[in-house]
Amino acid sequence: MMVAIADIGISGLAIGSVYALIAVGIVVIYNASGVVNFAQGAYAMAGAYATDLFAGTLGLPIWVAILLGVLVLGLLGLLTELLILRPMSGAPVVAVMMATLGILIIFRGVVLLAWGPDARPFPSPFGLGGVHVGSIYVSYTYLAAALASVIAAGFLLVFYRFTTLGLLQRCVADNPRAAVALGISIDRQVGTAWFLSCALAGFGGVLMAVLGGLHESISHIGLVAFPVVIFGGLTSAGGAVVAGLLLGLLEALTGGILVTVFERWLRLHTSIYSVGALQQVLPYLALIFVLLVRPQGLFGRAQRERL
Amino acid sequence: MRKRQIFLLALLFAVLAIASCFWLDRFQLLLVQSVATAGVAALALHVLTGMAGQISFSHAGLIGIGAYAGGILGNAGGDILSLVGAGVAGAVAAALIGWPALRLRGLYFAMATLAAQFLLEYLFKHLEPITHGASGLLVRPLTIFGYPLASDRSVALLSIVLLLMSWLVCSAIAGSHLGRCFIVVRESEIVARGMGINVARTKLAAFVISGSLAGIAGAVFAFASRLAHPETFSLSMSIDYVAMIIVGGLGSAGGALLGAGFVTIAPESLQRVGEALNLSDRVFAIREIVFGALIILFLIFEPSGLRAIVHRLGSRGLQFSREMSSKIKRRKLVR
Repeated sequence: MMVAIADIGISGLAIGSVYALIAVGIVVIYNASGVVNFAQGAYAMAGAYATDLFAGTLGLPIWVAILLGVLVLGLLGLLTELLILRPMSGAPVVAVMMATLGILIIFRGVVLLAWGPDARPFPSPFGLGGVHVGSIYVSYTYLAAALASVIAAGFLLVFYRFTTLGLLQRCVADNPRAAVALGISIDRQVGTAWFLSCALAGFGGVLMAVLGGLHESISHIGLVAFPVVIFGGLTSAGGAVVAGLLLGLLEALTGGILVTVFERWLRLHTSIYSVGALQQVLPYLALIFVLLVRPQGLFGRAQRERL
Repeated sequence: MRKRQIFLLALLFAVLAIASCFWLDRFQLLLVQSVATAGVAALALHVLTGMAGQISFSHAGLIGIGAYAGGILGNAGGDILSLVGAGVAGAVAAALIGWPALRLRGLYFAMATLAAQFLLEYLFKHLEPITHGASGLLVRPLTIFGYPLASDRSVALLSIVLLLMSWLVCSAIAGSHLGRCFIVVRESEIVARGMGINVARTKLAAFVISGSLAGIAGAVFAFASRLAHPETFSLSMSIDYVAMIIVGGLGSAGGALLGAGFVTIAPESLQRVGEALNLSDRVFAIREIVFGALIILFLIFEPSGLRAIVHRLGSRGLQFSREMSSKIKRRKLVR
């Protein structure tokens, strides 16, 4: 029993760390420009497919392909900001949200058009097999996914704390007007944020494909990431990481244990036979709960409104 | 004066639409019906988003609630009450969603409705004793005062009548005290509070009105397709509705209707074009790409939407006719 729970916990942490990557990307863009990017999942999907293109079709080594894929995604993010979001600056929040939803729709359409709706196998860069920790078996894939996310998050932390560009980013996020007064180009910083965020999302998408195969539904992760972002606090990258791991864990435990218990109870007492994928709506239940109790999230700042 | 003009125009339009129903074929009737039904639901979202400024991603869920409530009541022989019941069910569901969302604003409100959408989708799929789960709820034709609406024509007529009624409700709200409150809340919640408006109650009112209209639209959906299926009322349907009111022109009822027509008919014609070009296996993907691109192009190049385009065309036409008539007059004077 303990081993089973530990197994479930590990797979939860692996998925959760990918959630964290996507969520951090959303936070980075929101902080820099106030844009809520619903298309984050689309960039994750695009990252996975781009990597597949480089590795499968062009036959490059998988690590080179991942690197190229992430780079291409960063450029794609930069391009999106330049072509779509920049002309829309000053538009109402609804319009900007809708534009990012439009991006999501287009990306999904392109993937459907080029690759079709079927899932494809994805080459694992981490090899098969795993390590034994006591009696618990951890596959390399899970281990590597978690590790890669931690490294990416750590890189981000170092970037924001200790580099000049990171300082500029924080400055723009904190007070855009003061940033302009200091001669910082907001446009350039927002572009950088999009590059970073989409590269992160692309990497998250690759991990997602390694964990569960290459499929158009990777783009759904962008919507799951929103509960994570709100849970952690919209402005807090660290919060997004913690919330991502928590939610991944919660989801895996629900799917692995709670669903069976709950179904047994329901079958005894009602005519409902199956509760289906309860773990898929769990993040949203958690989201409603958090919004009720603590709308600013675990680590976010409460918004103050001024006239 | 202006109000009466609008009313007469709407009435004239409805009479024309109803009259035209009698010589349309089945496919055209289906189009008319789906545009009119989408129009009712788009007006529902217009009350919430256009007037009161709250973004909702749960309207497909509310439409679904209406579809299931209407279908169940109709199957039980609810007659015209099943339409009323669908509206009530939509309003109750909206109140339940709106209750926690009341204290939230902007993005957080949108997130709460997004969560509600996923929960409703899940419930449609898994509350099998009520919704019949993944196989969907079969719906018998609606009867109105004992007269069954079995043909496509009668359902199309019903949807046009309902569209006219919801249009009237919307314009009545827009001119009322409540409508003004909506607009103040949309522009600034702080100002609204300063003016003594109960912001939470105003938002709830907007959501409940919107929910009841969406519920009625949902019932028409169910009676038209004879089926309430959980896959229909998905997030992408919610997104379609937000797209409608934005593409049409945010903040105006006419814009919402234009958007409803556009978003309903454009994919249909794209499908036709795709089939004509022998691309039918890829037509879905192409449709998605074009739809997404259209949304973005509209947002960038015509933020006030189709309404602005129609307005411009209208005023240009008016100017043209004025010029022509003055030319004719001048010619007469010369003679």
